[in-house]
Amino acid sequence: MKKFLLLVRTGLRVNFSLSLLKPKYLFRNKKDLWMVPLIGLGLVGLIPVMFFYVRLVVRMYGWLSPLGQQAALLTFALLMGQFLVLVFGFYYVISAFYFSRDLEILVPLPLAPSQVLMSKFTVILVNEYLTVSPIVLPVLVTYGVLSRGGGVYWTRALLTYLLLPVIPLAVVSILVVGLMRLVNFGRKKDALILAGSLFLMTLAIGGQFMLNRSVGAVPDRAAAIRFLSAPDGLVQQIGSKFPPSIWASKALAWGPSGSGPLNALFSIGASLLLFAGLFLAARRFFYRGLIGLGEQTARRRTLSRDRLERGVGSGSRPVRAIFQRELRIMNRTPIFLLNGVLSVILIPILFVVMWNTGKRASDAAALMALVRSADATIAVIAAALFMTISGSLNGTSSSTFSREGGQFWMSKVIPVSPADQVRGKFLHSYAIAMLGIAASALVVLFVFHLNAAVVLASVALSMAASFVLTAVGMIIDLARPLLNWTNPQKAIKQNFNVLLAIFADFGVLFLLYLAVRLLGKLGWTGWRTPAALFVLLAALSAAVFKALKAFAARRYRDIEV
Amino acid sequence: MIDIRNVSKSYNKGQIKAVDDLTLTVRPGEIFGFLGPNGAGKTTTIKLIVGLLKPDAGTIAVAGWDTQSEPLRAKAVTTYVPDTPAIYERLTGLEYLNFIGDVYGVPKKARLERIEKWLDIFELASAVSSPIQSYSHGMKQKIVLIAALLPGPKVMVLDEPMVGLDARAAHHMKEMMREHCDAGGTLFFSTHIMEVAEKLCDRIGIIHKGRLIACGTMEELQTRNREEQSLESIFLELTDK
Ligand SMILES: Nc1ncnc2c1ncn2[C@@H]1O[C@H](COP(=O)(O)OP(=O)(O)OP(=O)(O)O)[C@@H](O)[C@H]1O
Ligand SMILES: [Mg+2]
Repeated sequence: MKKFLLLVRTGLRVNFSLSLLKPKYLFRNKKDLWMVPLIGLGLVGLIPVMFFYVRLVVRMYGWLSPLGQQAALLTFALLMGQFLVLVFGFYYVISAFYFSRDLEILVPLPLAPSQVLMSKFTVILVNEYLTVSPIVLPVLVTYGVLSRGGGVYWTRALLTYLLLPVIPLAVVSILVVGLMRLVNFGRKKDALILAGSLFLMTLAIGGQFMLNRSVGAVPDRAAAIRFLSAPDGLVQQIGSKFPPSIWASKALAWGPSGSGPLNALFSIGASLLLFAGLFLAARRFFYRGLIGLGEQTARRRTLSRDRLERGVGSGSRPVRAIFQRELRIMNRTPIFLLNGVLSVILIPILFVVMWNTGKRASDAAALMALVRSADATIAVIAAALFMTISGSLNGTSSSTFSREGGQFWMSKVIPVSPADQVRGKFLHSYAIAMLGIAASALVVLFVFHLNAAVVLASVALSMAASFVLTAVGMIIDLARPLLNWTNPQKAIKQNFNVLLAIFADFGVLFLLYLAVRLLGKLGWTGWRTPAALFVLLAALSAAVFKALKAFAARRYRDIEV
Repeated sequence: MIDIRNVSKSYNKGQIKAVDDLTLTVRPGEIFGFLGPNGAGKTTTIKLIVGLLKPDAGTIAVAGWDTQSEPLRAKAVTTYVPDTPAIYERLTGLEYLNFIGDVYGVPKKARLERIEKWLDIFELASAVSSPIQSYSHGMKQKIVLIAALLPGPKVMVLDEPMVGLDARAAHHMKEMMREHCDAGGTLFFSTHIMEVAEKLCDRIGIIHKGRLIACGTMEELQTRNREEQSLESIFLELTDK
């Protein structure tokens, strides 16, 4: 037990000293003080998002409570939370259990496999609390306030929150450990990560589909009355895909008289059971699954003279070389690939799924009708916003320096100016943003049937916006690149810079929204507003890119490796 | 060719003084061996030369270019082999070499010639189209070495280059070093192997606790420490405090 706690402590320390912003450090180093306004900008972006989220919860509560169905709100939030854990958990688990380099140190130590695995599990669990908190906490708190929950509610809420990620994470862990033992992929580990992730994404999209079906489309009156008349009808309906979320919300929402304690028991029991299962799986399978993981497929064949000749370029072309390097490393590291390229097309796909399932639901259709019939201002800006979010709200630009990790020394010694290195990296991040823009443009054109002129204009607008956001993301990562990671997950998914950049992106988008509002107040209509926005963004792009280059010149000199 | 003047460098905000007022000149065409006990400051000095670290004080010039004010010019004539070969695991050996060729601007003909020659010498031809991830430690070391040779640099800076190489590769390595300097190049390397330093180097520097305590040709070192004969005994005598 003592060893176990020690392992957990070390794991947490490694995890958080790398990925959390330390105010102490920030304020001691005067040069980093410029980040304070940036974080402020991030908060500016975050606050409206949280505000709207809480407002939505309050409104839903208002709709549901007259029907006695308000507990469905909890089920929904808990389900979303557990779903997030399920999806994110897969990456965390597989990379921490099997592909993290500290295993080389841990495995030879006199520790039981279960100790190693459980300590890693605990560290991931702590991470998951943070991951789900923005989704779950606002609902738990709002619900508690609105339902005037007393001390009993709050203690249960705390307990529920603490238990929330345990079940899904244990499920994922057992699956992964079992899978690795069964297949013992060895040299196929990249394929495994890709296949597993695609599977989970399909699951996620499928889950979306089902959720939409159950919430969005109210089928017919009889069925509606049937499940609204039972006190937990909606809860059952929503949670039927993942029963633990039903137990948890019932344990929370129904008092000690009703099914509360029983469901709490279910939750705790299932958690314990799964925990025990994981413990056994760790003991039996963990190390055996590890054997041979470092292996790589390697063809050992001498290149023929002309193959060699074709493989070799000529002359000096630093920007292209950097671009190519970024592209190759990103595409060949599954974790990077999933977070960059794949997430960029995932958002449009999710929209299509939601659109197709929610078609009958009145609000989505009404929204689209509004967008389509409204004047160009709204249509272009709404479409551009969608494209920008698809293209830029991912970790590509904001992890571009962190991804180099231990290889950053190479970027310091090659005779390529920081400005050129930044150009190559920018091209790569921007190319991925373009991919997202293209994918969502297709969706807007062929699924939402906006007219071509509107789509064209919004593509131009989102290209300008993505230019700014890409540069902003790179500046953030350049300010505090994470270079000493041992597990690629850390460089992109658990990289605080990525989160910070997303906040900052929201901040920028919010400021743009204010600008549009202002123009609206001034009586601007039609194409004039998007045009003005484009000019503004183009000017901003030039300025931010210039700042990026200047900053790079300084940072490449100052970062020591 | 490498001009280090009054350079100091400390870690952890001055708590650990790794290099202390170091002054050292390496002449063109010279093989310079850099010796010192563990933690003496060899790696730190080397990182300062190639620009991975910024000196706290003093200046460094490579081929006449100040590494702080003209970093690109200095880097264009220098290549570096670190003590641990941390390179792009996801690229194949050939892609990596080609990347180096692209950024240093090596013409195609020279690129092909040198790649073929060194792949052959270091017996890496069969592995060059596989990802670097699949290489052994020594193979990684070799590919970094080939990458350092590829631009045909004026100055090579190597940190313990023999570590991890097999006997044949180490032998070729020594020949390569000689060849490089016979062709007018300059070479600065750190090592713990006394025989290598004794046989190969034109001049030797010994660093101890961040300070240069001896520097010169083998004969100069021997005459200064009259009783001592081998480099090993000189080294042990000088660093014994
Ligand atoms: N990144 C670092 N942070 C803090 N101190 C460091 C760092 N790198 C080196 N040092 C310290 O600087 C001093 C010199 O280290 P350096 O790596 O230059 O030694 P070295 O001569 O290369 O040793 P070795 O023969 O073991 O490679 C040592 O005291 C070491 O502890
Ligand atoms: Mg060293």
